[in-house]
Order: sequence, then C-alpha cells, then structure tokens
Amino acid sequence: MAFPHRPDAPELPDFSMLKRLARDQLIYLLEQLPGKKDLFIEADLMSPLDRIANVSILKQHEVDKLYKVENKPAVSSSEQLCFLVRPRIKNMRYIANLVNADKLAGRTRKYKVIFSPQKFYACEMVLEEEGIYGDVSCDEWAFSLLPLDVDLLSMELPEFFRDYFLEGDQRWINTVAQALHLLSTLYGPFPNCYGIGRCAKMSHELWRKLEEEEDGEAKGRRPEIGHIFLLDRDMDFVTALCSQVVYEGLVDDTFRIKCGSVDFGPEVTSSDKSLKVLLNAEDKVFNEIRNEHFSNVFGFLSQKARNLQTQYDRRRGMDIKQMKNFVSQELKGLKQEHRLLSLHIGACESIMKKKTKQDFQELIKTEHALLEGFNIRESTSYIEEHIDRQVSPIESLRLMCLLSITENGLIPKDYRSLKTQYLQSYGPEHLLTFSNLRRAGLLTEQAPGDTLTAVESKVSKLVTDKAAGKITDAFSSLAKRSNFRAISKKLNLIPRVDGEYDLKVPRDMAYVFSGAYVPLSCRVIEQVLERRSWQGLDEVVRLLNCSELAFSGMTKEEKASSESLRLILVVFLGGCTFSEISALRFLGREKGYRFIFLTTAVTNSARLLEAMSEVKA
Amino acid sequence: MAVVAPSPRDPGGRKRKCGPGTRLRRCLLSAAQQPPAPAMDCYTANWNPLGDSAFYRKYELYSMDWDLKEELRDCLVAAAPYGGPIALLRNPWRKEKPASVRPVLEIYSASGMPLASLLWKSGPVVSLGWSAEEELLCVQEDGVVLVYGLHGDFRRHFSMGNEVLQNRVLDARIFHTEFGSGVAILTGAHRFTLSANVGDLKLRRMPEVPGLQSAPSCWTTLCQDRVAHILLAVGPDLYLLDHAACSAVTPPGLAPGVSSFLQMAVSFTYRHLALFTDTGYIWMGTASLKEKLCEFNCNIRAPPKQMVWCSRPRSKERAVVVAWERRLMVVGDAPESIQFVLDEDSYLVPELDGVRIFSRSTHEFLHEVPVASEEIFKIASMAPGALLLEAQKEYEKESQKADEYLREIQELGQLTQAVQQCIEAAGHEHQPDMQKSLLRAASFGKCFLDRFPPDSFVRMCQDLRVLNAVRDYHIGIPLTYSQYKQLTIQVLLDRLVLRRLYPLAIQICEYLRLPEVQGVSRILAHWACYKVQQKDVSDEDVARAINQKLGDTPGVSYSDIAARAYGCGRTELAIKLLEYEPRSGEQVPLLLKMKRSKLALSKAIESGDTDLVFTVLLHLKNELNRGDFFMTLRNQPMALSLYRQFCKHQELETLKDLYNQDDNHQELGSFHIRASYAAEEV
Repeated sequence: MAFPHRPDAPELPDFSMLKRLARDQLIYLLEQLPGKKDLFIEADLMSPLDRIANVSILKQHEVDKLYKVENKPAVSSSEQLCFLVRPRIKNMRYIANLVNADKLAGRTRKYKVIFSPQKFYACEMVLEEEGIYGDVSCDEWAFSLLPLDVDLLSMELPEFFRDYFLEGDQRWINTVAQALHLLSTLYGPFPNCYGIGRCAKMSHELWRKLEEEEDGEAKGRRPEIGHIFLLDRDMDFVTALCSQVVYEGLVDDTFRIKCGSVDFGPEVTSSDKSLKVLLNAEDKVFNEIRNEHFSNVFGFLSQKARNLQTQYDRRRGMDIKQMKNFVSQELKGLKQEHRLLSLHIGACESIMKKKTKQDFQELIKTEHALLEGFNIRESTSYIEEHIDRQVSPIESLRLMCLLSITENGLIPKDYRSLKTQYLQSYGPEHLLTFSNLRRAGLLTEQAPGDTLTAVESKVSKLVTDKAAGKITDAFSSLAKRSNFRAISKKLNLIPRVDGEYDLKVPRDMAYVFSGAYVPLSCRVIEQVLERRSWQGLDEVVRLLNCSELAFSGMTKEEKASSESLRLILVVFLGGCTFSEISALRFLGREKGYRFIFLTTAVTNSARLLEAMSEVKA
Repeated sequence: MAVVAPSPRDPGGRKRKCGPGTRLRRCLLSAAQQPPAPAMDCYTANWNPLGDSAFYRKYELYSMDWDLKEELRDCLVAAAPYGGPIALLRNPWRKEKPASVRPVLEIYSASGMPLASLLWKSGPVVSLGWSAEEELLCVQEDGVVLVYGLHGDFRRHFSMGNEVLQNRVLDARIFHTEFGSGVAILTGAHRFTLSANVGDLKLRRMPEVPGLQSAPSCWTTLCQDRVAHILLAVGPDLYLLDHAACSAVTPPGLAPGVSSFLQMAVSFTYRHLALFTDTGYIWMGTASLKEKLCEFNCNIRAPPKQMVWCSRPRSKERAVVVAWERRLMVVGDAPESIQFVLDEDSYLVPELDGVRIFSRSTHEFLHEVPVASEEIFKIASMAPGALLLEAQKEYEKESQKADEYLREIQELGQLTQAVQQCIEAAGHEHQPDMQKSLLRAASFGKCFLDRFPPDSFVRMCQDLRVLNAVRDYHIGIPLTYSQYKQLTIQVLLDRLVLRRLYPLAIQICEYLRLPEVQGVSRILAHWACYKVQQKDVSDEDVARAINQKLGDTPGVSYSDIAARAYGCGRTELAIKLLEYEPRSGEQVPLLLKMKRSKLALSKAIESGDTDLVFTVLLHLKNELNRGDFFMTLRNQPMALSLYRQFCKHQELETLKDLYNQDDNHQELGSFHIRASYAAEEV
C-alpha cells in the first residue's frame, strides 16, 4: 500500500557520518577538560545530544553528573564545570551568576563553556561585562546538522524563525552557510543550485564565499547530490498554517514530535506509562504510513493487523523444527511489529478522539474555503465563533492568519473586530503578539494603498547608498502583500475537483491536504526543477515579492552522474512541515527523484505561532 | 640580452635611473666577463696540492665592476657569507684625515653591482657587519648599533648599554649563532659586552679579565653549546670569558717561545681555532682548546692582515688561509704551504666550504677540491667517474674506445657509482660548460643502467640551473652547491626578494614547481608590499598594478599589503587595496584601525558575519557619541536589529532610547507593555 520507490530511484547518501563527526568532536572537547566534571546542558540541546551521544558515552569521558541549565542555582560539587549551551545571552548570565557566586564564596573551579553550533561575539562580550571572561574557557561544538531520518537533516534551531523573520537578526545565516559548506565538503559540490528568498540568497552568498576561501580541496570530488534548493519560510506561510492530515504531520500536530521522537501518553500506549518512540524509517510500520492521508491509515493498519495474525497463525500447522525456526527467526520481528502496530493504532484512536471533539471536519472545511477563496464571510464568522468558544488561542490565531494571508490582509473593519474579540476572549496580553504578527506579515490589515509608499519614499530619501534598496525591501516585507490568490491561480494550487478526490491513489501533491491544495513551496520546487531554472516563472517570483531574490546557479559539471542528478537537497530556512516533506516524497516517487530535506527545525502551525507569541504558555 | 629584457629588479616595469651609457658598458663588460671555456687538458692546472691528499683550487667568480676610488685598506669592509653583499664605509674616522668630510656608506653585490650609497650622517663607526637576515649592522663608537637594509634603508637602531656609551667602543665583532646574529663589543675599559641575538636584544656584560691593562692583541667570539664565549689573547696568555668567569687557557702542544698572539681565527662552524703567534708559528686545533690538529711555521713575523679557515664540511682536511699585504698562504697539515701572490689589496670572506677573496678588480673563490671532482679529474685517475667521462667523450667522437671504457666500468660493477660521481662533481663545478659535460657523461652512463632512480640527476640539473641563474653577474650571489643546500631554496628565495629580484624569484618558483602558497604568492605579496612604498606613483595606479599582478592568486593576503600601505601612511591606498580582499574578516579590523569605522560597518554588514558587525558596533559605540551612534545605526537596518537584540537582553534603557530616537511609537508602546508585564511577575 505504501508506495514503493521507483526502481531507478537513486540511493541516499549516508548521513550517519554527520553523527559520528559531531560525536567525535564533542568527545574531543570533553577530553580537553581532563578529569571528572559536571555537565550542564541547555534544555534545547538535550534531545539532539541524546541522538548523538548517550549518557554512557558521556560517562566514559568522565562526565560525572548531568544538569539542566535553568534559572536555579546549581548544587554541583564538582571541581570542574562544563556548560553545553546555545549561544544566548540568557545562558551567559546564568553562567556568570554561577561563577560570580563561586567567587563570592571564595571557591575556584574550572569552567568551560561549549557553544553549539557556534560562539557569538555578543556572548563573549557579556562574559566580559560580567567580569568572568578570564575565568572560563570557551569552545565551539560545530554541531549544526542532526540527521533525524535517512532523508531529513535538522539544524534544531527553532529560534531561527523568530530571530530572522521577526527580529531581523541575521546571525544564524552564518551557521546555515557553515552547515552547507560541511555538506559540500562531505558529499561533494552541488552542480545545480536554486533558491528563493532573502535569507536563502544571503546564505547562498556566504556559503559560496566559504567555498571560495577554501577551494582546492573540494575540487575534483564527484558530486553526490545533484541539486540544492534553498527556500525561505516567509515565501510560503500558507502551507505551514494549514492543518496537517498526513499521518506524520498529524502526529506532530497532536503529540508534537520532538527531535524525531514522540512521547505517547497513557491514552495511546493503553498502559499507565507514557512511552518515548523514535519515529523514523527504521520503524517499519510507521515508514509505511507516515506519508499516507489519515483516512487511509486505519484501513492500512487493520489490514496489517490481519496479515500479522495470519503470520502468527502459521505456527499452528508447524512441526517442531519449523517451530524452532519460527521462534528463533521470525517471532522477534513479528513481536516488534505487533508492538509498533498496536502503538500506532492507539495513536490513531487518540487522534480521532481529539479531532472529533474539536469538530475537525468543520475546521478543515473552513480552511479549504479560505484556500479556495469563497464564502469568506462564512469563514470569518466561523473564526469569530472559534474565538468566542475559546477553543484554543493558537488555533484561533492560526485561522486569522490564514484568512489574512489568503485575503491579502484583512480589511480594517474585520481586523479591528477580530482583534478586539480575540483580546477579549483570550486576554489583552496577546496585544504584543498581534504587533509581532503584523511585523512578520502573518496577520495584516489592508492598508489604503498610499501609506506604504509614503513610508518607503521617506526612507529612501533618508538613505542614499546601497542600503537604500535593502531598507525598502525590508519595509515592504513588513507589510508584504501575500498575493496568495494570484499565485494560486498562476501555479494552479487548487486542483479542479471532478468528483471525489481519490486519496488512496493520489494524483498530485494535493493529497497531503485532502486534495484541496497543493503546497505552494512544493509546487515552486517542482516547477523550478522541471525548468532547471526560474525561467518562465518571473510572474510568480514577482508575486512572491522576491523579484531580486530568486537565483539559480549552474556549474558545468560533467562529472555528475545521472544518479546524483536525481538527488535533490531542499533547504528550508525557517522550518518545514511534515506535510511538505510528504508532498515532496510523493513528487520524488512520481518523477524518480529522491529529496533530502535540510531544515532549521521541523515546524508546524502551532510552533510557528508560538514563536510569534509574546505570551508564555 | 640584458639591454632588451626588463631589468631583473624591476617587476613593475619602472625605468631604472641610469643612463643608457652605463647600461651599455655593463653589458659589454658582462659579455667580456665570460672566460673562454676551459681546455680539458689543463683542467687541473689551477689545482695546488697541500700535502699528499688534498688539492686546493682558486678560481675567479667575477671581475669586479666597482669604481672604487680608494683602496680597500682605507675602508671598513664587511661582506656577508653565502655570497652576500659587501658593505664599504669609505673614509672612516682616521686621525690623519680631516673630519669635515662626511664618509659614504656603499653597498655592493658580490659581483660589484652597486646596491646603495648613502652619506654617513651619524657618529663614527667602529665596525660593520651583516646579520643572518642580510641587514647591515653598523657599530658606532658610542655603542649605538644602526641597522640598515640591503638597499641602504634605515631599519632601526639599538644601544649596547650605558657602560659601552661611557667607555666608547674600541673594537666590535658581528658573529652568527644558531639564534641569529650577535654583536660583541670591546670597550675602552677593556671589558666585553655581547648580545647573542640582535633580534631579541639581551645585553650580557662579560666578567673582567684580571690585570688587563691594555687592549688584547687579538680576540674572537666562540660559540659552544649554544652559548657565546670570548677568547682573547694578552701577551703570551689566552683567556676564555663566559658568563660567569674568566679562565686562563693554554692550547695543547703549543710550541714554546711565544710571547704574543697576533691573530686568531675560528672556523665557520665554530669547531676549529687557529692561532698565529709573533714567531710566525700557526697553531691549529679544536675550538674547545682540548686537541691540537696540526701546526705550521711560516717564518713570517709580520702580523697577517687576515686569517680565516678554509675547510669543507665533512672533510678531514684542515687548512687556514693567511693573508698579508701581498701574500696569501694556505697552510694545513703538511710541511709545505701553498702560496699565492696578491697583486692588490684583498679581503677574505670565510664561507662554509671555502674562502672568497675579493679585491678592486677580481672576486675569487678558494676551496679544497671536493672528492668527486678530485677522483674524476685527477691526472691518471682510474675512478669510475673518470672512466665514464672519458667514455662519453669517446662516444661523441664516435670512437669504439667508448665501449672499452664502459665495459671496464661495468666489469667492476661500478657504473652506478660512476654516474653518481659525475652528478656530484657537476654540482661542484662553477663553469656551466664543465657542468654540462659531466651531466652529459652521467646521462650517458644512466642509459646502461636498468634501474637508476632519475631524481638525483633531475634534481641536480634543476639545482644547477637555479645556481647558474643566481650566480649571474647581474644577480651576484656566488653560491656553491654545498652553500645552497645549507641555505635551502626558501632562504635563497627570501634573499632574492630582499634584493627585489621578484621576477627571477618567481621564475625559480615556477621552474622548481614550488607550491603556489609557499612560492609565487609569497613573492608576489612581498613585491606588492614593496610596491606600496613607491610614493611617486598614484594610489590608483599602485592598486591597479597590484591587483593586475596578484589577481586571485591563492595565499595572497591583500589585507597584509594594505596594512603595509597604511604603515607607510597611505590610508587611501590601503582602503583601495582592501577592496580586493575577499575575506571581510580581514578587512574590518584594519579599517577600524584606520578609523574608517563607518566603512568597516558597511563592509561587515556586506559580509553577513554578525560577529563582525558586532565588533564594529561596539567599537562605534565607544567612538561616537550616543546621538551619532544611533544615527549610524538608523542607516543600517541589519546592525540596528542586531543591536536591538543585544539591548533587549542587556540594556533595556538603551533600547527605549533607540525607539525614542527613531520616533518608533509602536515599538515604544510595545516596550512599555512588555515592561509592565515583566514588572507584574515580580
């Protein structure tokens, strides 16, 4: 039932090398501080670290106790403290407090701060300001790529989204460029390169610079991956805001997949314990259903259960020898499969229960109406009802954003009324969130045409140099028009439905949204790959507000094998959703490509909006 | 010919400031310089036997083209080893001369090409000497040492201490140790002060010599176990000075009746010592004064002008060259000595494997004939190499004797050895013709060998080509093969760069296929650093010329060149050069140093490296007043957002000011809301 790959699909490169590399580097850094030491780990780094090096490896390298970096005084008694943190000012203050407390108590210990994935000057500055720069030694753990699955690499930088798209902070771009550089040194140069978006362009330029500085070594390597496609998240917010209905996406929306694994609570495991499950291609059952539309999953699972039963049943007519064989060889696999099967059935049930309670059908219907752009008034009143019933602050916000983007901004009357209702329903503290959303272009008010240009011209008068263009760009992104309707028409994102869309045998990528909508990001990738450039897509690019930010580069690389040319690395800057991954996997199967995904973090609508939110959950 | 080709020290195509006449003359001279190819039969004519086992030969390196107005004896002379330059300070402060005339310091290459000439404006000079980096050290009477470059450019100066200043300098020596170059000084109070490395100046005052009333008759520096000592002779006594003590020493086996030592010489490697006494007796032994090697009585009581060692590394022969006004004598472990007549004032320069002797008209090299050459060329030699050379000659004459000779070698199974001998001997030959015929013989012999690794032959050919190039009259670095090997190609390249012979250096790099980063790029970078010092060329032209030559050569750092330009006070040029620097990380610090903070900021932003932007921001924050700082930020949205992020965590009040300044009411409002929420939590 799960679609097999075409027989000519290329093999994926082996990304486990990245894990080994990161582990060896970490061990090296730990060994730099010989002797017993306590390790303080930032909460965000715990799950990624777990995928790289487990506790026993850490213990082998004389890590005594593990602590979480949180705003509580540490009770460690070790003489050597090692901090493994993201380069954040908050963390620096935590460390500074700890060191200064020790100083006050007249205690001298050895401190080592390991920044991952890199160290920022601002952090060192804070350490200096706090007067402890000389007391700590700083190191970098260049761990920027975590292979979550055979075809999915994550940088595990969820803050990238807020930092770049809201605050305009570009410091992570360097990290992205470094990661791309690492990939190209390990897996050969990328002969074809495409990208869209400001961040994509900057990352690409920075990455190129890195390559140039270090060329000579990489030369002569056979490229393993034929194409690379860089994509900014802000180019397509719609897809990220839609409810996911593919199994993996749904699991993510419901249970939150964290760093490739999910915590199934008691309601799923049908026991009193919750269970942490790794979700990747190694889970055979999951691998077959992850990309399926949810409506198919139940049928598949019950079929699978029946198969399993017949497998079990085979033992009835066995003689002793066969039985021995069965027990020693097959039983373990069957048991494992059994366990996974019951787990996923439990998950499905749990999802079903939750979704029926939330009136999921109605919600999906509204979303589709928004995407197609009809019955706007009806949808608006649905959203109002949603707000008034206080279903969920994030969900309500999501629908509002979806409405705003698909409608090219809310008309002022609606904006005001929805905002007022929202604030009254969920509390005035969300006021700041609204200003953030407006800044990011997620929830905007239709402005009377002239105001924006007035601001722009004012700015351009102020600034005369090169930066002027950048500023106007930045401003236009503040109140960016989404032009979703026009793009949708241009790229045919809403498939014409004649009769029922067969979700069992999908025809196009729209299946990931029940056949109602082809993800914009994926469609763009499809179109560009078909043309091998942006040629003929000028109008789309213009509508995406990326007129100068779409680029493609091709090196005449005769050495690239036809196999490698069908491997495509898609880089999502600002996160991608499981729906997009599923859609592209589908596209790959159809066209004989294999996609590899590199994302700053796996995201979904809830994470996206929480990142924008000023209210702490 | 040299007239047509651009001058070697002139990569930028700048015209040299000499008239066509001089050039033509030089050209004619250099043509006349080529001595006729040596006739084979009298090849050993200039070989002089010393004892039974060794031959010494003296051959001409150059005929000197310097128009010395005065005799060498009227000048302070210093010549650097390894075929280095010669410095002459004319008209030193002699009592009989009028002090009103300012002396002239002149620097020539070993072939007599003038490199620099400057009027000496400082105090009286006692001694001159070259450091290992080919910098000229001039020791003044007041103990100040002035350091000049090869082209007469003043580098720096340092003083040898107060004690020296008070008592004046009587005598000074520049010596070379494994750390670098040292200076030893004898003061008017008959005390010694020395520094073992002028690069890292540490003055050391040596202990007093008991009962020393007058200046020692002769003294020298010794270097043993990485420590510099001083050996001095007072009357019949010898004293060794080290850091702690002064001890009297006696050379073992010294002939009786010595009442004074007139001259002493220490070998190039500090291993051997020779003493010349007032009885015309020469004692030769180890520098540790523990062992006597040999002695010789020349029966000349006049003090020699110079005495230097002439030995080859790894040779058993020891010989000392002693020079008087008109006589040159090579003495060693043999009853007879070799005598040469000196027609003119000459000056001896000890080298690693021989002695260079230059005078007004010629520059010669005297050395022990190396074993390989001796075996091949010795009369009636039956060494395999000699037979091979003969065989090859017969082969060229199409005579069947070639086969006979070859068989003879092959029967003895010595063909490999023969080829090796010929290759080695070729290295020690000065004349290209001779080198060629030896190499031809080697290559001829190689044909009859199955598995002879070709690299020694190839390398020798390459090395000889390089050596012949640098020995050229215009370059004037008369290196021998052993010196070249000791010096290494890297140092040779450095010396060429020092002489501003960039094209030749690059050609050598390309010829030897040295890796670009070590070779060509480094030289180009040096050239560029020199180019930026040419003040008469406009900034645009210099920048363009540099970029044209350097392009994107790997390993060239434009920021280094720019730093040099900035060091010369050419800020505009530095900025232009920085434009070519691809790494912003290198541009920004220099721009900050040049106080172009705003340019640095935009460069940092262009680079996309936020750390760099931050560095500049903090610099700006300290440099500008708050208002200007905010105004600068306003024009740079990226820097602004970065700074806002920082302020959010560290300096909330600044953030408020920033919003205030920008009239950003929306953000200001948000700021206050946020602040109020934060306050509630407390």
